[in-house]
Amino acid sequence: MNVLRRFRNPVLMNELKLRMRTKRSPWIITLYLLVLGTVALTFVFLMTGAGSYYNPNETRELFMMLSLMQLAMICFVVPGLTAGVISGERERQTLSILLTTNVSATKLVLGKWLASLSFMSFLVFATIPLYAIIFLYGGVSPAQLLQVFAFYVVTMLGLGSIGVLLSTLIKRTGIATVLSYALVFGYGVGTSVLAEVIREFIRFQRNANNITGPFPVWPDFFHSLNPLFAMMSIFEEGPFRGLRRMAGSKYAALALDPYAIYCLFFAVVTIICLALSIYLIKPVKPRWRRKAATGE
Amino acid sequence: MIKIDKLRKRYGKMEALKGLSLEIDKGTVFGFVGPNGAGKSTSMSILATLLEPTSGKAYVGGYEVTSHPRQVRKLIGYMPDFFGVYDNLTAEEYLDFYGANYDIPVQERRQIIPQLLELVNLSHKRDAYVDSLSRGMKQRLGLARCLVHNPEVLILDEPASGLDPRARIELREILKELRDMGKTIIISSHILPELAEMCDVIGVIEEGNLIAFGKVEEIYARMQEKRVLRIRLVDRMEDALTHLKQQPLVSNVTREGNWAVVGFSGDDQQQVELLRSLALAGLPVAAFNEAEGNLEEIFLEITKGVGS
Repeated sequence: MNVLRRFRNPVLMNELKLRMRTKRSPWIITLYLLVLGTVALTFVFLMTGAGSYYNPNETRELFMMLSLMQLAMICFVVPGLTAGVISGERERQTLSILLTTNVSATKLVLGKWLASLSFMSFLVFATIPLYAIIFLYGGVSPAQLLQVFAFYVVTMLGLGSIGVLLSTLIKRTGIATVLSYALVFGYGVGTSVLAEVIREFIRFQRNANNITGPFPVWPDFFHSLNPLFAMMSIFEEGPFRGLRRMAGSKYAALALDPYAIYCLFFAVVTIICLALSIYLIKPVKPRWRRKAATGE
Repeated sequence: MIKIDKLRKRYGKMEALKGLSLEIDKGTVFGFVGPNGAGKSTSMSILATLLEPTSGKAYVGGYEVTSHPRQVRKLIGYMPDFFGVYDNLTAEEYLDFYGANYDIPVQERRQIIPQLLELVNLSHKRDAYVDSLSRGMKQRLGLARCLVHNPEVLILDEPASGLDPRARIELREILKELRDMGKTIIISSHILPELAEMCDVIGVIEEGNLIAFGKVEEIYARMQEKRVLRIRLVDRMEDALTHLKQQPLVSNVTREGNWAVVGFSGDDQQQVELLRSLALAGLPVAAFNEAEGNLEEIFLEITKGVGS
């Protein structure tokens, strides 16, 4: 019981309660399902040739499209959900009160972070019935479905932690939100642009110096950090020829799966962002060499 | 219970606290008086572990606030001058949330919360959403929130600001009850008479310095010793100010248009002498009178300009 009490987080419980009490929440859920549902059903409608028959071979495409679309929705919704969690408390003038209670900075940050992501998870898991359409026709393994959902969770945690960090750093929710979106989309585009720039640079160097042999895998690593391409790797797609070739060579041990690289990188980002947020939110920073209290 | 030792706080070039020192005994109701920007809120924020001092130390219950914030937080209930609430919670849920934040078990919270709502006269609003409460009610709910973990010390920053007279009276009654319960209370205000009624000790702060500290009766006596004179001159204002500054019983000479406003610590006869000296110096005095006004105004006149 005592162990459970240690992990009890009143901030998280309160946030969950507050979030589900707002009038906005049911609208967001409705809209989210409506958009994804419309797209999925339109796709099926078009594939069936407006009422004739459905080719089960195309299920994979439907699954990919649905998964990528959901990923785009996550990238679109998570910064908005998380960028206001701390700055919102500050603007509402409730943060200072919270900081004078027994709630530790860690519990406060983690509670806020998990509460906002739990709503996003709720949205994502509410779409599972849509995936039932795919399983009606077959063609996709349950392992792939699990991988896709695990990918969502990793992405949400990572992007959410970036949003929380910006919300801690920046006092205004508006500015924090804009910056979160800029960072997420900049990251999404930037990683692949960087990967291609590196690829071209290496190609130029190789041509200039007449170097032969296997092409370096650095561009593939950068592509692995991109949410879009990392997800495509689940379906054996994406610009990862170097890594795949490496898997069959004597360097197979080094040939990490793009999915694994992505998850590892996002885990590190999440830990760093949360640790920084926890440190920054503390009004009185800890010092290692504080002397024992003396006084009255 | 509370000890502040040479506390300094600097914001860039501005020094909000300039070596503030004071001690408050257990069970004392301490009134912190001073104009806006004097350093009251800064001192209170430091005591509430929300702000790190530039130098100096502050102790609550023997714990230094920057090295032992967790222990200090258990001892204090803090109400800032401006605070928000969670609009989508009821009054009961609001208190329950903060009770949970202080790790109070559910069973205990169920017992405490009705008692607290009773104390602050909000029992009838138990299930009302916080955003439907008036400002006075929110302030009282905030006070109940401070008490949820039964702290020994209450730090209340301008709790009466923005309240109508009725709400002020209600708040005052609650604070009297808390005083009777033996809590150590620090309460700030720029309205002296309000504090004087319920405080045992008063400290006057101006521009980061403590300029008066003592029991309410002592401060009153000191104030009655000192009067404020207002002297209107038709001409030669600068000469008059220079002349007044040279007088031994005169202090805090300031100018307000054609008026010279001074603090005077002499008796009636010495006041007559002062007027005579002005006339002998050939200064064109058109009016010479003691400032009338309530305790608060006289007090602020006396303290005006000190520390600058």
